[in-house]
Amino acid sequence: MSNDVVVSARNMTKRFGNTLVFKDVSLDVHKSEVVAIVGPSGAGKSTFIRCINRLHPFDEGTLELLGHRLTGGKAKVPRAVLQDIHTRVGMVFQTFNLFPHLTVIENIMLAPMEVKKMPRAEARERAMALLEMVGLPHKRDIYPKRLSGGEQQRVAICRALAMEPEIMLFDEPTSMLDPELVGEVLGAIQRLAREGMTMLLVTHEMAFAKEVADTVVIMADHEIAEMGPACEVLESPKTERAQQFLSRVLKPEQAADDFVAARTASQGGDR
Amino acid sequence: MHTMLQQWALYLPDYLKGVGMTLELTGAALLVALVFGFILALARLSKIRVLDWAATGYVEIIRAIPVLILLFICYYSLAQAGLKLSGPVAAIVGLGGFYAALYGEIFRGAILGVDRGQREAAEALGMPRSVAMRKVILPQAFFAILPPATNQLSNLIKDTSLVFTIAVADIMFQANSALSQNFLPLDMLLLAGVIYFLFYLILSKFLARWELNVQRRRS
Amino acid sequence: MHVALHYLGVYGVGALKDIALTIVSTILSIILGVLAAAGRLYGPKALQIAIAWYVEIIRGLPAILQLFIIYFGFDQIGIHFSPLMAALIWLVAYGVGYAVEIFRAGLMDVAQGQREASAALGLSPSTTMRKIVFPQALVAMLPPLTSFVVLQLKNTTLLYLVGFADVMYEARLGVDATNQAGPLYVMAAVVYLIISLVIGRIGMRMERRAAAYR
Ligand SMILES: Nc1ncnc2c1ncn2[C@@H]1O[C@H](COP(=O)(O)OP(=O)(O)O)[C@@H](O)[C@H]1O
Ligand SMILES: [Mg+2]
Repeated sequence: MSNDVVVSARNMTKRFGNTLVFKDVSLDVHKSEVVAIVGPSGAGKSTFIRCINRLHPFDEGTLELLGHRLTGGKAKVPRAVLQDIHTRVGMVFQTFNLFPHLTVIENIMLAPMEVKKMPRAEARERAMALLEMVGLPHKRDIYPKRLSGGEQQRVAICRALAMEPEIMLFDEPTSMLDPELVGEVLGAIQRLAREGMTMLLVTHEMAFAKEVADTVVIMADHEIAEMGPACEVLESPKTERAQQFLSRVLKPEQAADDFVAARTASQGGDR
Repeated sequence: MHTMLQQWALYLPDYLKGVGMTLELTGAALLVALVFGFILALARLSKIRVLDWAATGYVEIIRAIPVLILLFICYYSLAQAGLKLSGPVAAIVGLGGFYAALYGEIFRGAILGVDRGQREAAEALGMPRSVAMRKVILPQAFFAILPPATNQLSNLIKDTSLVFTIAVADIMFQANSALSQNFLPLDMLLLAGVIYFLFYLILSKFLARWELNVQRRRS
Repeated sequence: MHVALHYLGVYGVGALKDIALTIVSTILSIILGVLAAAGRLYGPKALQIAIAWYVEIIRGLPAILQLFIIYFGFDQIGIHFSPLMAALIWLVAYGVGYAVEIFRAGLMDVAQGQREASAALGLSPSTTMRKIVFPQALVAMLPPLTSFVVLQLKNTTLLYLVGFADVMYEARLGVDATNQAGPLYVMAAVVYLIISLVIGRIGMRMERRAAAYR
């Protein structure tokens, strides 16, 4: 593993019971690289990035991550390793998952204080700095319910950043947002990219992927259909499966037809 | 163990009479509770203030009073006031009246739980309120009602065990009379326990599973 | 003065006994219920099954039958309890069966995403439970806990049947002595009504405070 590779997946395979989620996924992520993962829903993108920070175990293959080597299968990862990974890898969820019973600033301060034993005053100061960065310092004493989706997601980003992670994982961070709120969240992510954060980002925003990602991975049918430099993959995909997917996202009317066809098929299937 | 089974066999016919009484009471009280409960739900949802208040007051007060006291009031207090009800009738009135409050809340919750959009859609189509209720709201509310209704039915059966205190010969009554004859309270109470537990299993397991299936098939 | 009003004093004393019994049994039920819920969710398989069956039996049998088994039934095998002792054991044994389910439902009510977010931040399982899951579960548990306390209070009405001298017991004695079933039972109903409503009010206030963030 070369010095600046921080994530190295080799032939990772994941199943839920008997259903295959993805198989034979191999992928290297270098320090400060931004990798965008795109693909049709159900392809296994979310599950893959959850396997990276071990929210889910995986079944086969190996994963080298920040100096740890994890193998698939039943073997239990020692608590200390898990703890180290979770501390050094930040995650932002599609559904934000802010802690509803804590105020904005308490959400951000909790992990540094509990995990890193950071003194309260310092945690507060740093939380404020993060809130300034995303333009939400005035919301610090409000409960998450009272924030818009875009604001909640920006707070969730701050919460993850408060642990000073070396790698950030984003699982469709904007797909639950109203269109007019997408920009503010993407802006915060773009800023992180410019500052050199290593990131894996599952997204449906193709234009954004093209702009911020160094590498694009297209996942479809439980495997990597194509992977390479962002512009290359998105503009002139080589595999048929990748072309198919991209033509659908880029041509909405085609997507609409597919949607209707899929709906009809699945409703027929229920009977 | 051997003697216990012998005693069970000896008293089983009495217990079965008790089972008959328990089931009759449960059925009659359930009927009262469903009908009166539905009326209470409609009253609470009605635009007529007085009806809403009266129904709300009834539900809040009745729910806060122990069933046993309601039974005593129906049996002893009403008799003192000149309205003499037989034990079973007092039991049906007391249990039915109490469970009507609970069922009323279940109905109300289910009706309110039907999406507002459904009400508005029906209104936009020009349906009168009563038609919308019958054709749109209630059919959808019905399946939300089933699980809590079954749960309360299971509670109702258990609460019928209090009627022996007003001299109604249910399962519990038979158990008490048996144990005062053979002085084997544990054995005789356990037989009653087995019977009640069977009712419970039937309601909570089989019926609940059936409901789950119905719901799954519909969604 | 109406003859029934002479009983206000003994009703008051009886009510205090019922309230004390409700409070003590509720506290014990909650403590044991938390432990049992933890065992039900996270304990070894055999313990999980044992607790699940305990809950089913408590919920499946009439309350009065459980009381009679403890007071009369155990007598047959040489275990004799005083009315107070039987009352306490019964209320706690019964209460634990209900409390387990309240805690279990409350803990399961907390969205999986909350645990995941907590784990992803590196919080330990015990911190996750203390700081994230339990505070949210508590809010979901308060309404059923309030109903539970009312249920336990109502259960105390059955205790006269084993000779525990509470409101119902005094009411029975009074009716025997005066034949005033009307006012005496209605007065008893009012006593329980008032206590129930007060419990409901307290519960509502706690809910409102705990759920401020919702
Ligand atoms: N916890 C789970 N248990 C069982 N199956 C799951 C679970 N999570 C996801 N899946 C299944 O795995 C497949 C991939 O899901 P996911 O990773 O969410 O895809 P994507 O994010 O690409 O849309 C889907 O078919 C989904 O139903
Ligand atoms: Mg996904």
